[in-house]
Amino acid sequence: MNDIKTHVSPPETSAPDTAEQSFSADTGFKLFAALGPVPDAITLFLDDQPIIARQGDTVAVCILRTGVPYNRLNPVSGAPRLPYCMIGHCFECLVEIDGIANQQACLTVVRDGMKIRRQLGAPLALKHPEV
Amino acid sequence: MTQDNIPPYDADVIIVGCGPAGMTAAVELVQAGCSVIVLDMQPTPGGQIFRNLEANLRDSSPSGQTLLDALGPAYKAGAELIQRFRTFRGIDYRPQTTVWEVRPDGTVGWLQGINAGYVRGRQVLLAHGAMERPVPFPGWTLPGVMTAGAVQTLLKAGHLKPTGNVVLAGTGPLLLLLANQLHQLGIKPALIGRTDRFADALSGVSHLRPGGLLPLIKGLGWVARLKAAGVKSVTGLKDLAAHGHRKVEAISFTANGRQQTQACDLLIVHDGIVPSIDIPNSAGLRLQWDEANASWRPDTTFDGQTASSLPPELYAGRCVIRVTGDARRIGGADAAMAHGRLAAQSILADLGRGTGPCSKAVRSVRKSLSVRPFLDAVFPPGLSRALPENDTIVCRCEELTAGNLREKIRSGFRNMDALRGETRCGMGPCQGRSCMVTAARLLQEHTHATACPPTFRGRPPIRPIPLGAIANLSGLDPRATIRLTLEDKPEHGVEETVDVPAE
Ligand code: FES
Repeated sequence: MNDIKTHVSPPETSAPDTAEQSFSADTGFKLFAALGPVPDAITLFLDDQPIIARQGDTVAVCILRTGVPYNRLNPVSGAPRLPYCMIGHCFECLVEIDGIANQQACLTVVRDGMKIRRQLGAPLALKHPEV
Repeated sequence: MTQDNIPPYDADVIIVGCGPAGMTAAVELVQAGCSVIVLDMQPTPGGQIFRNLEANLRDSSPSGQTLLDALGPAYKAGAELIQRFRTFRGIDYRPQTTVWEVRPDGTVGWLQGINAGYVRGRQVLLAHGAMERPVPFPGWTLPGVMTAGAVQTLLKAGHLKPTGNVVLAGTGPLLLLLANQLHQLGIKPALIGRTDRFADALSGVSHLRPGGLLPLIKGLGWVARLKAAGVKSVTGLKDLAAHGHRKVEAISFTANGRQQTQACDLLIVHDGIVPSIDIPNSAGLRLQWDEANASWRPDTTFDGQTASSLPPELYAGRCVIRVTGDARRIGGADAAMAHGRLAAQSILADLGRGTGPCSKAVRSVRKSLSVRPFLDAVFPPGLSRALPENDTIVCRCEELTAGNLREKIRSGFRNMDALRGETRCGMGPCQGRSCMVTAARLLQEHTHATACPPTFRGRPPIRPIPLGAIANLSGLDPRATIRLTLEDKPEHGVEETVDVPAE
């Protein structure tokens, strides 16, 4: 279930590297593995793809369990980022949740059917790196 | 508006943070008849040390049991306190609530979901804990670099374990503890690179108090177990760098006088923990510089009383904020509980309900903190000791390098706020949490000032808060607001109103 290999439909804003828009459970981004089976899993949507979650998980946990190359692209350089501190300090885990951007994934507890989108930086900054 | 212009208090005491210190204080205060509100970012009580403990104790699956065994008795030790905390119905516990402002007069701004407001306490106790010391090194922004605390949180609250080539680098008890926990879960780290050396351990012996013996034995046990398991380790690690295209693929470092490389998927870094000063700094509390730990901490009395550095006209009367636990001084869970009790007893005295800290509480704080000088000597800051080279990113949010900052400092931006205004260092989403200490040290490198390094001026809101939540703020001080009707012909007889600042 969490071994997603399908392509994600591109979000409205375009990322610099479209190849990065696919989940890459198959290209070595599994930094973490589940300790055991996930009981009573609920379903969230990460860029429209279903992913599993345990009740009480934070969104950041689900993102890392799924194994994606990034949850956001830094708005300055477009560099990929994943959660760094997991306790609400670094703000690297920012994602869009149910339509609201810049939510800290490591502080947000999952709800069944939650819609999460990765943040693709600030598109203008990406197009004009010198600005 | 109440008589005598006294604003209504929402509680006798508002506690920020629900770890060992916050929980202990809450229980102590409620038992003495106080009303208490506890605001905490996490979904369940326990703080980072006892994170997700209740659920993990209920989990009877084999993997759940394995995890509990790996996390060890120090983790399970929090169960009794959490249970006591839960027992007291009188504690108004508000989980998943972030605090974006604290004022010396006892006003606290909170956000829960899309609702926000102010609550006022006669006293405020900050028990918001610590953070891992920021460690800028080349490649630290790459996916695949995480802190030891983050990996522990993923174990406790996510039941996730690292895979692939795992390297741990840095110093401190948490690094060794985590390496042992991983090993017990069947993960053999490819390398443990410690910045500390045995020589440090020897120099620490002069600070050794009887209370330090147990942690010393524990630590030596961890080192021995890892060695017996054949885990490769180096000490005196320097010049750490992470390399890779859009993720960590390898690391390099110097040890024993030569440069070495190591394939790596997950680099776990840790350079000790420091008090989190985001709230104290934005509340305008006086800070002091802890030289041995190269970190700020709130300037407090023994019982945690703070003092405002703001001019008196910016806050009404006395500063009613105390700080406790690791947020005041790093000491770990036992010290946090001891100090939480002490601070609560002092608060009770201030509220006219007690005679101040009992001698037992004072003694247990002294005892629990007595081991720190030893640990500070054995595990001095390592990864962050040398200031970063020019091409290393200091500000993760705005991707500013040490070179960017040095250049601006040389060209005349010689105070923190001017530097921030010029470069945007500290103006990204983390609001300086990761870069402030490095920026301050870079400034000192140039000015050679020796006093407590200045911080960025803290400005609420110190955490993001949606505009809609601000528009609907609850709990505004009735003395400071008047209520306006938005429409002159209210529909359905219901007036739409808004609170605005009074003249
Ligand atoms: S991972 Fe650092 S704030 Fe969420």
